[in-house]
Amino acid sequence: MEEFISYLFIGLGNGAVYAMLGLGLVVIYRSTGLLNFAQGEMAMFATFIVWTLADSGLPLWLAMFGGMFGGFVIGVVVHQVVVRPVGDPHQKPLAVVIVTIGMFLGFNALAKLIWGADDKTLLNLFGRSGIDIFGTEVAWQKLGALAVLAIEAVIFWMLFQRTKIGLAMRAVASNPESSALCGIPVTRVLMFGWGLATAIGAVAGTFTAPITAVSSNLMQLTLIYAFAAITLGGFDSFVGAIVGGLLVGVLSDVLPRYVDFFEKMPLAPAFILILVVLLVRPEGIFGQRKVSRV
Amino acid sequence: MTSSSPAKSLGARRWVPLIALAAVAVVCLALPQVLSSYWTDTITTWIPLAVAALGLNLLTGYNGQISVGHGALFGVGAYTTALILNEWHWPFLVTVVASAVVCFVAGVVIGLPALRIKGLYLALVTLAVATLFPQILEQFSDTTGGSAGLGITNRELNRRGVMTDRSIRFEPPDLALLSADDAKASSQWRYYIFLLVAAICFLLVRNLVNSRAGRSIIAIRDNETAAEVSGVNVAAAKVFTFGISAALAGIGGSLSALELARVSSGTFTLVLSLNLLVAVVVGGTPSIAGPAIGAVFLGFFTNVITPEFPEDVKPLTPLILGVLLVVLMLAAPGGIVGMYRQLQARLAARRAISQTAISQVP
Repeated sequence: MEEFISYLFIGLGNGAVYAMLGLGLVVIYRSTGLLNFAQGEMAMFATFIVWTLADSGLPLWLAMFGGMFGGFVIGVVVHQVVVRPVGDPHQKPLAVVIVTIGMFLGFNALAKLIWGADDKTLLNLFGRSGIDIFGTEVAWQKLGALAVLAIEAVIFWMLFQRTKIGLAMRAVASNPESSALCGIPVTRVLMFGWGLATAIGAVAGTFTAPITAVSSNLMQLTLIYAFAAITLGGFDSFVGAIVGGLLVGVLSDVLPRYVDFFEKMPLAPAFILILVVLLVRPEGIFGQRKVSRV
Repeated sequence: MTSSSPAKSLGARRWVPLIALAAVAVVCLALPQVLSSYWTDTITTWIPLAVAALGLNLLTGYNGQISVGHGALFGVGAYTTALILNEWHWPFLVTVVASAVVCFVAGVVIGLPALRIKGLYLALVTLAVATLFPQILEQFSDTTGGSAGLGITNRELNRRGVMTDRSIRFEPPDLALLSADDAKASSQWRYYIFLLVAAICFLLVRNLVNSRAGRSIIAIRDNETAAEVSGVNVAAAKVFTFGISAALAGIGGSLSALELARVSSGTFTLVLSLNLLVAVVVGGTPSIAGPAIGAVFLGFFTNVITPEFPEDVKPLTPLILGVLLVVLMLAAPGGIVGMYRQLQARLAARRAISQTAISQVP
């Protein structure tokens, strides 16, 4: 039982990170309508910025904010230079997939080129100590990830429900043409969405990095977990990303410990989840059902 | 414009592709005679990539189903060949056919859920497959050898009378036929046999897309609903295409296992899947020659150009490939073949204009 609780909290902590990356994916899906396969690599790139700042002596918290700012700029540039010219993702899915795959390869290689192939270490944001819960030691880092996710959720809720830019983002998501006619600067709103998504990726990266190391492959598995999270929760739902992320985190950490079949393939539960949800209920738990006209 | 002149010019131009094809064939056949054994082995590894890219192009370019996971099917083909050779010692080329069959079945199994999961979402699922595949190999490392790899070996008595695993490779039956040098002869043998297998695959796919079935496959890509009401059995055609495409990836994997005489989980990562996609997009889609051109481009880039780079700028290659993908999609979505076709169309238009001008002179 104690063992289970310890795995549970590790799963929740990791799940919070998947949820963070998932929130970014949802922002992009809602605004631009595409699944950004380069999201993980963009987050990895932003995490390298965090590492560079932390390595130059900045406290990790400040370095993370610096990385978020860097990520924001990257997101804006990527949207303007690459994503906008491609066009509607649902009309030309192949073009969008190829372009995001191209960015995937590009960011991965660029990180190796700038920071070299050696792994870098990033410390825990919440230190190495833990707290006793039901007789098991739970790391502050995992609880910290959950807390940061909660803060992000509140900020997102405030942003989308209580601010003008949030209203504009919701309007653009629901109908870009009408929004443009209402005088909403659609392009600027989309730019902001991409920036926001990449900035939050920097936070996810900062939490992933201490588990492995900062390398160009940092976020590749996390990306698949995050996709599983938003598939389960619904591609266009923020609540879905959070609930989905935590569920995927727990499943992927607990199952491989108890089921021999999953022992060396922790990704398998997430994969099965993606497949089953897309087959049975493509809109996920909280997502909106898509209705298309012929 | 007179009625006879365009027809005449068309007749003359019909020979151009045939001459080009003959020239390419001569170059392909002559290369191993000119190149060293090392370079022959290197270009031999490009052939499996071309065959797998051909399969991906059939699926993505002609049928409109996006797969980011063909590297995994390539891996299934490679492991099928290695395991059959180790367990049952079948003839080499029979294992290629067996891998194709196994991968065809795998493709049909993936193709069935792909009927419901389309576009971006299919790309997502196949991306997950590509990422998961090395973990599956790790999980079943008793059979697959995991990251340590699995050599293709033959258990036999050595000279001292002890049973040992001797590594076996795809070797020519009679060395006298080819070059006198042993290693060179065996390199050339593999090259020519692979080239033959690839040529058969390309010919079959060319005939397929030009057939009635091929027109159905293309109609589905252009408009699934319209194809359905025109009497195309959409589900059957899509699943069939996935199967054939997977079989081609399997043949590619099988050939690569025969060339390297070894398979390991590190080979069949996401990177391989992405490289196949790069080959397809750069070469041009939809087309038959595209995947071959793309595979040669990719091979040339990784095996010829990259080794020239200094050690710390080696990642420049994937960076260039990534940027190239983005630029191609924005500027020339048809890849190299698409650019060639555009150029041809422009020249034809110019000719037509000049001919009209001439014919209008009294």
